[in-house]
Amino acid sequence: MENSTLIKDGVVINEKPREASAVADEKTINDLLPQTFGKAGKIWVTVLSAICVVGVFAYYRQLRYGLAVTSMRDYVSWGIYISNFVFFVAISLVGSLITAVFRLAGVKWGSPLTRIAEIIAVAAIIFASIIIIVDMGSPERFYNLFIHGRIQSPIIWDVIVITTYFFISILLLYYPLLPDIKILLRFKERSGKRLNRLYTYIGAFWKGTPEQVKLSERAINILCVTIIPVAFTIHTVTSWLFATTYRPGWDSTNFGAYFIAGAFLVGAGGVVVSMYVFRKVYHLEKYITENHFDKMGRILVLLSLLYLYFNVNEFLTPFFKMKESEAGYLNGLFSGDFAPVFWFAILVGMILPILVLIFKKGRKPLPVFIVGIMVVVGAWFKRYLIVTPTLLHPFLPMHDTPATYRHYFPSWEEWAITIGSLAGAMLIITILARIFPVIPIQETLDEQYESVK
Amino acid sequence: MKVLNKIFSGALLLMLLASAFTAFSQTTEKGDLSIAVNYYITNNRVPYLVVKVKTKVDGRFKNVEGIPLKLYLNKDSIGTFIAKVISNERGEASAMIPSSVRKEWNSQSKHTFLANFDGDKKYSSAKGDLTVSRAKILIDAADKKVTATVLALKDTTWIPVKGVDVILAVRRLASDLNINETPTFTTDSTGKVTGDFKRDGIPGDAKGNITLLTKIVDNDQYGNLVIEKSVPWGAKFIPVSTFNNRTLFATRDKSPIWLLIIVYSIVIGVWGILTMLVLNLLKIKKLGKASAK
Repeated sequence: MENSTLIKDGVVINEKPREASAVADEKTINDLLPQTFGKAGKIWVTVLSAICVVGVFAYYRQLRYGLAVTSMRDYVSWGIYISNFVFFVAISLVGSLITAVFRLAGVKWGSPLTRIAEIIAVAAIIFASIIIIVDMGSPERFYNLFIHGRIQSPIIWDVIVITTYFFISILLLYYPLLPDIKILLRFKERSGKRLNRLYTYIGAFWKGTPEQVKLSERAINILCVTIIPVAFTIHTVTSWLFATTYRPGWDSTNFGAYFIAGAFLVGAGGVVVSMYVFRKVYHLEKYITENHFDKMGRILVLLSLLYLYFNVNEFLTPFFKMKESEAGYLNGLFSGDFAPVFWFAILVGMILPILVLIFKKGRKPLPVFIVGIMVVVGAWFKRYLIVTPTLLHPFLPMHDTPATYRHYFPSWEEWAITIGSLAGAMLIITILARIFPVIPIQETLDEQYESVK
Repeated sequence: MKVLNKIFSGALLLMLLASAFTAFSQTTEKGDLSIAVNYYITNNRVPYLVVKVKTKVDGRFKNVEGIPLKLYLNKDSIGTFIAKVISNERGEASAMIPSSVRKEWNSQSKHTFLANFDGDKKYSSAKGDLTVSRAKILIDAADKKVTATVLALKDTTWIPVKGVDVILAVRRLASDLNINETPTFTTDSTGKVTGDFKRDGIPGDAKGNITLLTKIVDNDQYGNLVIEKSVPWGAKFIPVSTFNNRTLFATRDKSPIWLLIIVYSIVIGVWGILTMLVLNLLKIKKLGKASAK
């Protein structure tokens, strides 16, 4: 049996033989080790893969026949691809919220959720990058961004900041994973050859020496400090893609804060959904407790109220003024073609979650899970509402355009690619959860020692 | 009574027959077109016509697109044919008076322009005409005074015309600006109008040139006449080009320095930290290997 060393801020604070708690440790490790897919897991992966394949076929058609296969035309040149991009960028911010903000604020209860948040962040940011290339039509245009791109353009700022955020998210996933890989390597038979080869490649060098732990702790702290401004920047810059363009609905100085509030909400919604699923599938009730759902429920209420506040700001003042140039856009949202989606996003994505979660009973795992789904679905449609209605209501009147240019409903290729990308993100989350522990093992053990002490 | 019944039955039969004839004829009511001809001449050069085609729908005039019109000078014949035109989406069509009708044009001082539409499935045939007398304007500008003379052709002589409303203006980008507060001037017995130029400091071109205009607009007798003259009465406008400067809207090689400093500082700062963290990983790896030995 190995000796355990608990190190905090580079100082050895507890060193004791582990025999006494060995059985409990082994139980914890056993509970938290990645598990092979059961029948349901296999079906889940097959379904997601099939959706991805359909998406890939639709993308092949887009490459073969051009963007003409989409419903995007002269006016709506940003359709559901860009809505989806904004959605992915938004949900990726949860990595910084759960891991960095909680850690720096000394929120201990959030540690079992950090890995889930980071996995979601990595999957989302990968597909945010992919979907933007899909939106360009021909993928080689991405190369043109680098050879012809102008640093004055917010699009280039977005490319830079997404790349940076992706890299930080990978590091923030990787560093805390190193102690767990050491544990995973102890269970070679359970992991299988391939996974063992992977674990050996990425983390066999981790011996858990005080020097290594000290360096790792310091790196994680630096990452937590770095990721917050980068996360704020990534979504602020994404909001500027809209706000720096003079159009009804986008001409706002409030957009950065409005986007970040919405991003934290959808990210937290994504985490509670994943928490519930992993808890149920991997039987993690002991580690992801009702207390976690209660606290995440409270956070969701806070974030919903914050986002609702920004929405009131964003729509009430233009509604009060009802400028001629914006009237078409606003009426379209409040009582026109987009009204059902608009009120769905406000009610289901913000108001109902608040009403359910302010009650203690509403913060039980199942209601929180349902509310999480409502928040995520509402958030996706909210992104659609940010992009499309504005493009259909330009300041200058539409002249000499075919009737089809005045409306937008995505083609099946757009739906297939978009749903395929959502399935792809879920597939990455599923695969990462199969390879790595969804709850940090070493961190859980350390916390158990601390609580015993 | 019997006779009365027979008359009544006969009248009813006639009415039925008449209505049946109308019902089986399958004629559809065609729309009526209104054709207006307008005459224009600028700087006493080649005159041209603008024809406007409208129809009344629900009590409102609506422009009609795609109506073919034949334009003639004075009479409908081959020798006086001006052009065949088709109305655009604004219901307008225009044509210059071609040299082929020069002889006819020079033969008289008063002309009638004809615009004929032969009719189609949708609209009945229609005609429009306009009679104008040939006239011209002369413009003179000196000492910030603008003088215009309106002359009309009588037989072969140009004679001054009295009582014609004339606008004296300066050409601007969107519309014309009167040279002073008076909207229109009326010609005296010598056919002249004179106005003081009171738009000092108005921006001109790089040399301070502005374009003065004298216009007769929609005159029943003479149509629309315009004459222009360039005078150096405006303020010199030296455009400041920012084309090759470093601006937010310039090409990539002309980014503002402040922006470059901010962006590269942030990028170098953040990526410097990330590079350090990657090097940190290598250090951890090295420590792990050393510990294994």
